[in-house]
Formats: sequence, structure tokens, C-alpha cells
Amino acid sequence: MVLAVTARQAGKLALVIGLAVAVLLPSGPRPALFDGLPLPQAPYRYVNPPPDLASSNQPPGSGQATLPVQNGQVPGGGVQTSDGQVLVYFGLGALRASSSAQSATIRIDPVTDPPAPPRASQIRGNVYRVSATEEPGGGEVTVVRGYNITMRYPPGPFQELQFYDGTNWHSLRTTTVSGNPYAGATPTALGEIAATAPAGAGGESLLTILARIVESYGLLAFIIVFGGIAVAQEIRRRRRT
Amino acid sequence: MIAAAAPRRAAALTVALLLTAIMRSLLLPIGELAAAVGFVIALAGLLVVERRMDSVLSRHPHPTLPTRGREIGQQRSETPFWLGAAAGVGVGLVLLLPVMGAAASGRPLSGFWGWGAAIVVIATLEEVVLRGRLQPAWTAEAGPVAGLVLSAAVFALIHLPRYGLGAMPLDFAVGLALGGLRAVTGRVAPCAIAHVIADWGAWFWL
Repeated sequence: MVLAVTARQAGKLALVIGLAVAVLLPSGPRPALFDGLPLPQAPYRYVNPPPDLASSNQPPGSGQATLPVQNGQVPGGGVQTSDGQVLVYFGLGALRASSSAQSATIRIDPVTDPPAPPRASQIRGNVYRVSATEEPGGGEVTVVRGYNITMRYPPGPFQELQFYDGTNWHSLRTTTVSGNPYAGATPTALGEIAATAPAGAGGESLLTILARIVESYGLLAFIIVFGGIAVAQEIRRRRRT
Repeated sequence: MIAAAAPRRAAALTVALLLTAIMRSLLLPIGELAAAVGFVIALAGLLVVERRMDSVLSRHPHPTLPTRGREIGQQRSETPFWLGAAAGVGVGLVLLLPVMGAAASGRPLSGFWGWGAAIVVIATLEEVVLRGRLQPAWTAEAGPVAGLVLSAAVFALIHLPRYGLGAMPLDFAVGLALGGLRAVTGRVAPCAIAHVIADWGAWFWL
């Protein structure tokens, strides 16, 4: 009886402390789950969604960060869109502002009136504009050294990221990771960037789609059936004792 | 031999649980889903081994060690199931508070059911092993505070490979809260309910 009271009191205290800390902890590296399965990617957010996705599409997000400037040099930093579709990182000294500048504001915005696609290519997903202005004054910040951009592209064909300088599109040396719908590149100027694919390239083949479904749902089914049996047996055992 | 082995049962279970987490991280390069399957198999295997231990210990009882979680003092006063379930729902919703302010993820409800069912299984298995087995074992051997703290620490450690050091404080706090819920209600089901609700929220907000 003494143990029961003590355990309950300790439990109450742990419950209150645990909940308070879990709720009040500053968000930061907050995990997606306390355990469990990987989350499927949230649907790609289009500026102009394909007709079949128009009803469920959510508008893409923008991103902004203000970095301090010292003697015209920006110490580096990153910014990403609120939906995580684009992430930009500037290394130390990659940006230069005027000597009177005190801060630089970097923005990533989805472009609502994108330029015509590059020749022999199609634009996949949204075109994003990366811009940087200094304060005070609002003058443009220049890129001295290449910066890193990571951009998500929608399901379907993808070849490379391309950069639009206001007149022409330029191919960027693009890196991808198999099975990951993000591509990375190192542009050397601020402007508009898009994921592209050869014109006329189709989506995934039926076989690829089927393989993906069998892999995902097969493993999910295994977890549900196998784990369910284990849990059911444990419940039965507990009822018997 | 049995008497010598029995007091080390909580420690052995702790080590086994940590090994399942290491195994899961080793499987990650194959794919997160495959690693989750391996984790489920390992947890279910642990339960089987634990049941064998139960039956061995019931044939050779140790005078100071309860053989099953239910025989430990704190579990004698279980709250009614519906009350425990309501507490589980409440705790789950409180754990979701920090993410509820975020923008909706936009994931379609149609894709939720398979994922959500698998989460029920994994979270419940984890709770059965951690709060249903490990916590009572440490409570019996070292007292209720040690049971709470050590099971929360193991809970945080088994998530280390997946979320990194940055997530440890949050996972430890959640482990403490779920352990507290177990001690207060005397049941594992409320912990599983809270855990599942907290996990489900990720679909809609993260």
C-alpha cells in the first residue's frame, strides 16, 4: 500500500513535469514523431497546379531572413520557404553590400508570372525568385561567390535546375539524391530558378508506380498484421493473469 | 541460477531495447520503412522472450521479485478503463499543443489510414514493452522514481538514432509524462492512446 501511494505520487509529479517541459520546450529540432514511421512527403504546393490537383492544392510559401552586415560583408546564413520547398544558404562572404549597409534581407518568393520555359525544356513545379536587398537604402546586394540552393520538385520527370537572368535560362550543375525529390545547385547570381525536364518527358511508368505502391503498402501491411498479432497476444496474456 | 538472473531482468531488458534501437539505425540505409519493420519484429521478439521469462519465473519464484508487471504494488489500483482512456486522450492532445499552431501539412486524409494504423501498432508495441514491462521491472528493483526516470531515459535513447541529440530533451520529457500516466492510472492503454494521438498529429501539422 505504501508502494502504491509512493508510485502514484511520483507518477503525478512526473506527469506534470513531463507535460510542462514537453509543451514549453522551445521549438527547434522538434521531431516529426516521438517514434514510428517516416511521414510521406506533404503534397507539392503549386503556384499553378495541374487541373487534377487544383482542388487540394495549397499555395506555396515564401521565406525571408535578415542578416547583419559588417563593412559591406554578410557573414553568411540561410533562409527557407515556410513550406520547406526551397532552402538557400550563403557562405561567409558570398554576399557583398555597400559599406553603409547594416543588414541584408534575403527573400525567396514563388513567381506568379514565370518566364517562358527554357528551349526544349519544361518547367517542373514553381519558379522561385531569390533576392537580397540591403538596409538602409534598399539597394541590391551582389553575389561574390556561389551560394547553395536546394529546391524540391514535384513528382514526375526531372533533369536539372536552371537559372533565369532576366533574358536567358542557364543550366546549373545539379545534384540529386535517389528517391529524394530535392535537387541542389550553386548559382552565382540572384534571380529566378526552376526545376526543369526535357520537353515532352512523361511521368513515372506504370511499373515504377506499382513497385512504389507494393513497397510502401506491403511493408505497412506487414507492420499492421505482425505488430497487431504481437499486441493482441500480449493483451490476451494480461487478461489471463 | 534463476534467482541470480532475476534481479538483472530490468537491466537486461534495457540493454535489449537499446540494441533494438541500434539495429534500427543500422537498417536505416535500406529505408526508413524497412527499419521500422525490423524494429517491430525486434519489439515483438522482446515480448516473446519476456513471456518465456514469466513462465520460467512463475515455476521458480524469487522471493523479492514480482514476475509480472501486474503484481507490482502500483498496478493493483488501476483506474477504470474509460477514465484511463480519457486521460490518455487528454495527455495526447496536450503533447500536440506545440505543433497545433503550425500551418496544416496538407497531406490528404485518404493516405492517412494505412500510415495511421501502422502508427497504432508501433506506438502500442513500444508502450507495452517500455511502460508495460521495463518501467515495472525497474520499479520493482529500484523504486518508482527509478522506474520513471530510467524508462523515460530509455525512451529518449531509443529515439536518438532517428532524431539526434537535439530531440533528447523532448523525448525524455514525453517519456516522463507517459511513465507518469502509467503510474497514475496503473494501465498501459492510456499511454498507448496518448502516444498514438501525439504521433498522428504529425500527419496533419508537420
